[in-house]
Amino acid sequence: MGEKEQLLRDIGIADFVLTELVLYLDTHPFDRNAQEYFNHYNRIKLQMEKEFSQKYYPLNTRYAESSKEWRWGAAPLPWEGECA
Amino acid sequence: MHEHWNDNNFDDFPVAMAYVPWQKFERLCEDLEKGYCAGTIFPELDKPFTGRRCV
Repeated sequence: MGEKEQLLRDIGIADFVLTELVLYLDTHPFDRNAQEYFNHYNRIKLQMEKEFSQKYYPLNTRYAESSKEWRWGAAPLPWEGECA
Repeated sequence: MHEHWNDNNFDDFPVAMAYVPWQKFERLCEDLEKGYCAGTIFPELDKPFTGRRCV
């Protein structure tokens, strides 16, 4: 698996971890330990998404800002199989 | 947010009702990739069905 695919997979895993923590925190809003895990993985995911968007293509228009060329259009479309 | 979310004083609970104990959480699974494939990052929720009984 190339570096790009590995980074994309890591973003997906971080996103899954956050989704799980959200489900837990919804019913355990006072659990400090879970909140710290959430804050930690949220920062990691944002950092990985930024890194991916700079290196390859923006994953979200939130990361599409650029002075050179408009990169959002360069991103592969979901049905083109690269966002597996 | 209602406040009774963590009371477990079972003697006050009416009989003939179903109860789900509250999940207590200490830590995530070591390998998040394995948790991702198992479908949960909470070891206490990882209960694969083995064809006859859950683990």
